[in-house]
Amino acid sequence: MEFDFGPVASNWRYLALGLGMTMSLSLLTAIAATLFGTALALLRVYGPQPLKPAIAFYVDSIRAMPVLVVLVWTYFAFPLIAGLSLPPFWAALVALSLHASAYMSEIARAGITSVRSGQMRAGLALGMSRAAVIRRIILPQATVRILPSYGSMLAIIVKDSAVASVIAVPEYLYRSTTISAQTYRPIEVFTVAIVLYFLIIFPLTRGVDLIYRRVAKLGRS
Amino acid sequence: MTFDWSVLWASLPALLDGARTTVLLTVLTMAVSIPGGILIMLLRVAPNRTLNAIGTVYVEVARNIPLILLAFWVYYVLPLLLDLRLPPFWAGLLSLSLIISAYNAETFRAGVNSIRRGQSDAALALGMSRAQVMRKIILPQAGRRVLPILANTWVSLFKDTSLVSVIGVHELAFTALQIRTTTFRVLEILTAMAVIYWAMGYPQAKLVDWLHRKYGVVE
Repeated sequence: MEFDFGPVASNWRYLALGLGMTMSLSLLTAIAATLFGTALALLRVYGPQPLKPAIAFYVDSIRAMPVLVVLVWTYFAFPLIAGLSLPPFWAALVALSLHASAYMSEIARAGITSVRSGQMRAGLALGMSRAAVIRRIILPQATVRILPSYGSMLAIIVKDSAVASVIAVPEYLYRSTTISAQTYRPIEVFTVAIVLYFLIIFPLTRGVDLIYRRVAKLGRS
Repeated sequence: MTFDWSVLWASLPALLDGARTTVLLTVLTMAVSIPGGILIMLLRVAPNRTLNAIGTVYVEVARNIPLILLAFWVYYVLPLLLDLRLPPFWAGLLSLSLIISAYNAETFRAGVNSIRRGQSDAALALGMSRAQVMRKIILPQAGRRVLPILANTWVSLFKDTSLVSVIGVHELAFTALQIRTTTFRVLEILTAMAVIYWAMGYPQAKLVDWLHRKYGVVE
């Protein structure tokens, strides 16, 4: 068995662009999911009563469906109803964000409800507004406590970004399959891909865990 | 835009057939990954440093790469390395099992570690053998703690089976995408696929929540 990394090396520019797209897709998804998921969690805990079952239904439905299904539906089926077509990258961003937001909202909700309700009452008794208690007392503690789960969610976001290759988003996995098909060197191409994904995802979870260990004491009360 | 939902009646048998493969793949993967997980956990807690390192590296790699990439690797690379050609279904089963075993190994390890040492010390002091301690003290408690996490893994696994459609496993997603290209009824078929996944996944997600409420550890 001979290995030839030539095809990977000679196409490095093409692959590097894919890596950049994997990273930007993951980063944008992470930002959207963090904002949207936290908003959903806040609404579900503190929002108006009629909204709560609706959010719960949304979150549970997303948890019940594969990311691939949300992705292909957004890319192929949604434009037929809406009458507008999304380019693959944006379809992937929307679908991955919708998917990750549901998970983020569960993580954020667990963090928020883990802060004892006595703290809310104490803050109100001191004359703070509800919004101020949430912003200055509850969210800071919740943020620290959810860090480990947040780290695994970031890892899942990077992994799920590879699913975008199914709708031909030219991210790293998609470009790997192209090169593998062109050069007939799947061994080298896919093995390099495994190593690269590992090198992105592993430090991500480890980094968040390290930060958590440093700041965990700030979340105790 | 007109929609033609009658195409669903014609494709329903094929879709349900795909759904059956999805369930079969989920069940088989879990059946492989529970013993697989125990095996890898034993490697991870082994006193031998080499075995220990193998277990740790395996778990870290498996948990930090995309499943869809591993599926490609198993389907396209493994045949070249080992000179054995796996049909898509078996390649899909293998890649799912490789990943889920790693998750299960961590679940089992956490479960056993969550039982305080004092309990096994106490049981040994009462004259129980090591095997008895494991069987009567540790495993019943660890089992309760492991169950909700295994249920979580089960639901993710059920959803992740859709990813092996990329190597041509004829499960629900693959079947739906294929019918889409032959009938051109994109919206109808993809919506039907989403509804079938939802109908199967929603009760499972609810069951997991219930298991967490019943058995979950509250710190």
